[in-house]
Amino acid sequence: MFTEAYMLRALMASVLLGPVCGLLGVFVTARRLAFFSDTVAHSALAGVAIGLWLGASDPTPAMLAVSIGVASLLLWLRQRTELLTDTILALLLSTSVALGVVIFSQLKGYRGEMERYLFGDILSVSPMDLLTASIISVGVTVLILVWFNALTLITTHEDLAHVTGIPVRWINLGFTLALTLVVTLAIRLVGIILVTSLLVVPAATARNIACNLRQQTVIAWLLGLGSALGGVVASYSFNLPCGPTIVLVCAALFVASLALQKVVRPSGHTPAR
Amino acid sequence: MTPHPPALQIQQVHVALGGTAVLRGVTLSVRRGELVALIGPNGSGKTTLLRAILGLQSIDSGEIQILGAPISPSTLARVGYVPQKLELDRGFGLSVREFLALRLPETRHWLWQSHRKIDAALAPSVEELGVMPLLNRPVSRLSGGQLQRVLIAWSLLRKPELLLLDEPTAGVDTPGERSFYELIESVHRRHQMTIILVSHDLSMVFRHAQWVFALNGVVCCQGTPEDIIRNDSLKEAYGLHLTPYHHHHSGEVSHVH
Ligand SMILES: Nc1ncnc2c1ncn2[C@@H]1O[C@H](COP(=O)(O)OP(=O)(O)OP(=O)(O)O)[C@@H](O)[C@H]1O
Ligand SMILES: [Mg+2]
Repeated sequence: MFTEAYMLRALMASVLLGPVCGLLGVFVTARRLAFFSDTVAHSALAGVAIGLWLGASDPTPAMLAVSIGVASLLLWLRQRTELLTDTILALLLSTSVALGVVIFSQLKGYRGEMERYLFGDILSVSPMDLLTASIISVGVTVLILVWFNALTLITTHEDLAHVTGIPVRWINLGFTLALTLVVTLAIRLVGIILVTSLLVVPAATARNIACNLRQQTVIAWLLGLGSALGGVVASYSFNLPCGPTIVLVCAALFVASLALQKVVRPSGHTPAR
Repeated sequence: MTPHPPALQIQQVHVALGGTAVLRGVTLSVRRGELVALIGPNGSGKTTLLRAILGLQSIDSGEIQILGAPISPSTLARVGYVPQKLELDRGFGLSVREFLALRLPETRHWLWQSHRKIDAALAPSVEELGVMPLLNRPVSRLSGGQLQRVLIAWSLLRKPELLLLDEPTAGVDTPGERSFYELIESVHRRHQMTIILVSHDLSMVFRHAQWVFALNGVVCCQGTPEDIIRNDSLKEAYGLHLTPYHHHHSGEVSHVH
């Protein structure tokens, strides 16, 4: 059925990126980093535009560079100014989208290209992307598991983590970098506009049915895998746009988890309000 | 080195935040094994001082010695810290068992360990605090009083010699507050540790503490609770809006704003 090379690449990309997105999502949701990840994703549009404008055949390096640049700019602005993180993110998001669209408008022969990045395209995963994705997803998964206790404690109370001897600054920096890399790579599959949902929705679904962090982590990992894989297969079978299909699978699983919640945690710790 | 240096020794500590001198030469010394209260009006620098002791706030000048040594990871390992509340989001599924497991070396790999093994490791230090029934509960759903117990259990797991608590009963109702102070006193008695408690609740402080420091940028007065009540400098520290009085038969102290 999936004999085409591009399809195999898309399937492999979903197996590589879906689970690590689910894993990262547990901390992204708990630390309210959804808007941050959205900003990083949108800044990649400027990255793509700059890459194509410079005549690069593969815009991935430019995307990664601009996303990391925007993430560093956020950290710098947060230190330099009294502004709320939300405000800075909104500023960076709109500026980079505007920059991307303006550059795109000046490029000749790339009219349809922008949509492929905005909504994801299974045709666009190159062998080189796959190599990058395998290195980064394995690296980030190992990093998260090694830092799991530290990240958990930082999420619980930063000062407490500090007093316990955890190098909070370094771990926060490393986590931000890991998140930036994974988000930027997942854009190929899910698209700029929708990529954050691949981080947020599996973790939220997992939270609905999990009784503790261990369960939430394992379930989010599995849901990330299942939705990315299921989305790619469905998108191929029914000839649907890839990113939106993946997101709809995520959303369907979320709805199912609401029903399942009553079964799994009948008396349980469902919110009182 | 003397065999028993003070649990905490602070010399002429100055800290300025955003251009204001918050701590203006704080000097104090806490003997080992005492239950000490740190009081003072809002903005008097209590939290800043506590953060400085924990190495979370750098000091402009002065000296802080914990258990006879300067602040370092190895001295901080002998200190317990109970923050007022956690920054935990409801979207984070962390259970009490998992939170406590983070603290013990033998449950470092809790992600792969059975609940039975984790509970066995936790039980000896945690049982006395009545935390065992809470182990399956998500940390983000605990009540104020339950959370305080869990946080104290967390710091006791490493058997600290010095325990610092920042306004532990803010947001806890009056009966909860009373039982909390009783808990602290029993922990203090049983473990013979030094406890420094930041609090606004003067009546509880005066009832349970052995020594009181009143802070207002500097330590403006100190002494046993009885001394402090009699001393007029407390009114000075609180800007004269405080009138402590005795309930003669019970020795209880209240304050009026
Ligand atoms: N980051 C900061 N920048 C500037 N000023 C600060 C900063 N943090 C605290 N302050 C100021 O330092 C002073 C002391 O604050 P601190 O939190 O130590 O007081 P506190 O005694 O703990 O008060 P409370 O009883 O309200 O908890 C306050 O006037 C506060 O406004
Ligand atoms: Mg304070």
